[in-house]
Amino acid sequence: MRVRGSFLMSLYLFQTLNGLGLGLIYFLMGLGLTIIFGMMNFVNFAHGVFYAAGAFICYQFIAWTGMFWVGLFAGPIVVGLLALILERFLIRRLYASDHAVQILVTIGLMLILRESILLIWGTVPKNVSPPEILSGVLLIGDFAYPKYRLFIIGVTIVASLGVWLLLERTRFGMTVRAGSENPIMVSMLGVNTSKLFAATFALGVTLAGLAGGLMAPIRGASAFMGAEALGIAFVVVVIGGMGSFVGALAGGLIVGLVQSFTSGFWPEGTNVMIYSVMALIIMLRPNGLFGRS
Amino acid sequence: MSTSVPFRVHIAASVIIAAALPFLVPSTVLATEILIFGMAVIGCNLLLGYTGLLSFGQALFFGAGAYIASLTAIHWEIGLIPVLLLTILAGAILAAIVGYLAIRRQGIYFVMLTLAFGQLGYYIAFLAEEITGGEDGLLDVPRPPLELPLLPDMTFANDASFYGLTAVIFVLCFLMMQRLVDSPLGSVLKAIRQNEKRAEAIGYQVRLYKIAVFAFSGAITALAGGLYAMMLNFAPLSNIDIETSEQILFMAVLGGLGSLYGSVIGAGVFLVASDFFSELWPRWMLLLGLFLVVVMMFAPGGLWHGLVVGFERLRGRHKTSTEENDHG
Repeated sequence: MRVRGSFLMSLYLFQTLNGLGLGLIYFLMGLGLTIIFGMMNFVNFAHGVFYAAGAFICYQFIAWTGMFWVGLFAGPIVVGLLALILERFLIRRLYASDHAVQILVTIGLMLILRESILLIWGTVPKNVSPPEILSGVLLIGDFAYPKYRLFIIGVTIVASLGVWLLLERTRFGMTVRAGSENPIMVSMLGVNTSKLFAATFALGVTLAGLAGGLMAPIRGASAFMGAEALGIAFVVVVIGGMGSFVGALAGGLIVGLVQSFTSGFWPEGTNVMIYSVMALIIMLRPNGLFGRS
Repeated sequence: MSTSVPFRVHIAASVIIAAALPFLVPSTVLATEILIFGMAVIGCNLLLGYTGLLSFGQALFFGAGAYIASLTAIHWEIGLIPVLLLTILAGAILAAIVGYLAIRRQGIYFVMLTLAFGQLGYYIAFLAEEITGGEDGLLDVPRPPLELPLLPDMTFANDASFYGLTAVIFVLCFLMMQRLVDSPLGSVLKAIRQNEKRAEAIGYQVRLYKIAVFAFSGAITALAGGLYAMMLNFAPLSNIDIETSEQILFMAVLGGLGSLYGSVIGAGVFLVASDFFSELWPRWMLLLGLFLVVVMMFAPGGLWHGLVVGFERLRGRHKTSTEENDHG
């Protein structure tokens, strides 16, 4: 009985940690989507393809330098720079447009980027292996857990804390938050909103790129990974409520834990479960858990 | 704008479209596909163009229609009309349920919910392998015979006869939907698109109208999906995936919203272009993406609106076109 009990305990611990890691990745995705929406009232349907691009650029830099760390840094940074360029020439023209127009243009952008990824890297998904120091498992007593997954939890916690500090404790963050409440007032108070908007867009997309780079050693890099991630990011913000940091965190963790625990007893059904949980939450709380009506 | 056009003009126009199409495009199969997707795009247009509801889950109704029609045609020998009626009914009910849930939220949340329900449907179809065939799809979908009283049974074994069937169904659907959007109900839908709060304040039950338009959209989209499965003799999983939703939406925007002719033009141009370019270059979707960006940035009214404006310019009465410029 005791052996069985401790086996179950470690199984639950394993799945909770898995769920935490996935949930924090989803949180990064959802957070990027939600700060862009909160600030510019802009809907980015290309968010998923930036996630895929993050994974591929990570792969490419590892292939060039042989160093995982270079790839992990380069992924989000290069994707963020790409976002700055796109913001300058395309995205900023759309802030005043209808949501329908924004959605359709970003779908066009998504197609362009996805097909470009297929042109550059081909149709076969790429494998990325974690560095030597992070491969294998960590043993704590009888409990074994993959080192790389622990690393993901650590990096996402640090990144989320960083974003939180940036938003809550810096002047930039203050204007971002003020701008997401009332962008016109902020521009009247003398803030250069066009730079602020560009920085916010790049920050949101960088988070998607980081999420993609972190996931690459687990799921590989595939041009079509963006569609699934986009769907999940939407679920996260629908559950949590758009424009809310805490909401994105709660949404991400709920989705991650549901996915990980479902995979324990019904591995094929994880996605059905995620979307069903979302439907249930929407029925009970139409504005999401932390959303403003 | 379209209310001033007499109904007999719509009858003539839709019959001419259906009769001329096989001679305008390279193959009968492509012509069949255009009419089928034209119906699905009309379903999307009812929601987006007429009511202002951007649904990202149209593939759910298209795919569900394909599965219902295939399953009833495979397992029950009930003839063509009952199969199609069941498909229409199932599509309407499914869309009413999805609509009921999705319209609890507005704006961008609504779009995300339609996408999420579409994904839910996709994963259910993927899982329910014993019913839907999962990743392999449903094979050997028959084309049920049409049994009419006093006439011999009709089968649709070859491409030309199946085109004939699709054309008749298309004309009937097109005219019914034209009647719908020209009816008082259609006017209420346009009122909802232009100003939802005002429509509510006048006393219309906006929610009921939205659910109703979802049901109509689901019915015609499911019918299109069912016909598509019969055309292919196959119901692939891709019918219900997000890419099909995107393509239907894309055709609707390409042709122009708020006109049923625009929907047919959108489907036609998209399918002919994809038929042409996909032969030349496997990455042709890149051009599609560029095209979508350019159309949305510079001609958000779509091809049909461009044609209307161009035609009126030719006749020197382009000033009136500003009155129509209310969808954007």
